[in-house]
Amino acid sequence: MPEVARAEYLEELANLEASALGGLDLVNTALTRTLEAVEHQDVELAQLVVADDDRIDGRYLEVHQALITLLATQSPVATDLRLISSLLHVLKNIERMGDQCVNVCKVIPISGNEPPADEEMVGLILSMGRQTKTLIVQAKRAFEERDAEMAQDLVRQDDVVDNLNRDCFRLAIELGDDADKREWAMTMLLAARAIERIGDNAVDIGEQVAFVVTGLFREFEDASHPEG
Amino acid sequence: MLGAATKRSAPEGSKGEMADSRGVTATSTEPVTAVAGQPAKTIEARDVNLFYGDFQAVEGVSMTIEPNKVTALIGSSGCGKTTFLRSLNRMHELTPGARVEGGITLDGEDVYAPGVDPVAVRRLIGMVFQQPNPFPTMSIYDNVAAGLNLNAKKVSKSQKDAAVERSLRGAHLWDEVKDRLEKPGAGLSGGQQQRLCIARAIAVEPEVLLMDEPCSALDPVATLAIEDLIGELKNRYTIVIVTHNMQQAARASDVTAFFNIEGTGKPGHLVEVGPTQEIFTKPGKQETEDYVSGRFG
Repeated sequence: MPEVARAEYLEELANLEASALGGLDLVNTALTRTLEAVEHQDVELAQLVVADDDRIDGRYLEVHQALITLLATQSPVATDLRLISSLLHVLKNIERMGDQCVNVCKVIPISGNEPPADEEMVGLILSMGRQTKTLIVQAKRAFEERDAEMAQDLVRQDDVVDNLNRDCFRLAIELGDDADKREWAMTMLLAARAIERIGDNAVDIGEQVAFVVTGLFREFEDASHPEG
Repeated sequence: MLGAATKRSAPEGSKGEMADSRGVTATSTEPVTAVAGQPAKTIEARDVNLFYGDFQAVEGVSMTIEPNKVTALIGSSGCGKTTFLRSLNRMHELTPGARVEGGITLDGEDVYAPGVDPVAVRRLIGMVFQQPNPFPTMSIYDNVAAGLNLNAKKVSKSQKDAAVERSLRGAHLWDEVKDRLEKPGAGLSGGQQQRLCIARAIAVEPEVLLMDEPCSALDPVATLAIEDLIGELKNRYTIVIVTHNMQQAARASDVTAFFNIEGTGKPGHLVEVGPTQEIFTKPGKQETEDYVSGRFG
């Protein structure tokens, strides 16, 4: 049998995949710190997350450029082409996930140093965050293992995040008439919304896994036509 | 019909005529004008086995070559794609000891049926070769008119002039050579020579054009010019192109057929045929994936 050819190119593609998916580890770290900052209303830690987002953006730019170079110089086709196409999408998702952590961290100083925090609300947001971290890990594993079923399961996991987000909204309404508390609850709703979007991005990565495996792109859930 | 088309040696030189779908025989004096947009002809290959003496070069190829589409045959050297191409217009049998088993039909008509004139088949199914091969001593005009002179006995000068101009325009060469039609064809550049050969092939109004690596001797600019031309010619003809350049297959063809061999001395076989877009994005077989991705070399 002929020997496997293009070893250098294949190694580079594998390295770029690892580097792109490694961006999910950076996001996971950023989200962990973000949740800690929310829990303790830690403004300094929040600022660290904002500053550290440059690393995620840098990863995006670096891997994106290298993938474009591979497209230009190696004429990838078939699975390689689907992989590169999906990695370009996944990189964008990862970059957005990092931005959502930044969005959460930017609202923490608004709530003040000693905010009228509601323990139940903070608990809900932390639960959302933990569940979202599970999604991030599962999205990465599904991609690495080319497991379309595991990718599809992200929808079920994301439903948990969505339900917690709705619970946050209900709780914010029930928090009463205290103006400071209402203001705090509003900022926490922004945080909850940002975390919910991170979950959505994880599902989008799952859709890219299905594309790499099957060659067909379809949205797992159509937000525009939820009944369809 | 197909059942009868098995195990036969080539009846080269037989005097039969092959009628085309418009009721004009291949030896008619009037070249038939293929109308742009009009459906060309379909080639059906059924369980085609090709031999050079005792050596089997191609085994069990069955495929439909659709009209008004460019079908690319790809595969590594020795996989039988050129041999298969040459069997479609009965050029394979020109090699001493070569023989064909199986059935090849052009719009349902068996091209290997007893009584069919191979020359008539080759007029309906034209060929363009790897190396541009204009007749070196002939003028550009005579190169294009060569087929008309051979095939049609009573072509007036004005008819011939019109056919030469139409063919050179069809091959995107007219504007470059219209002022020097009497100059030798060998004086043209490689890309121009290949377009001259295409003009010569289409001058006799074939139904099908076979191209055996038509760009492998050309520079990238001439290559892209030929690929553009192929894209236009498919509106009038069925086109089959053998190419080693996978990007060319991806760019220029609608359907791609992948041939492979299991090892040295084994016959080539058709692994997979499908829309080019699918072959290059999600091929059905791992063997095809490995080849188009350059996994084996």
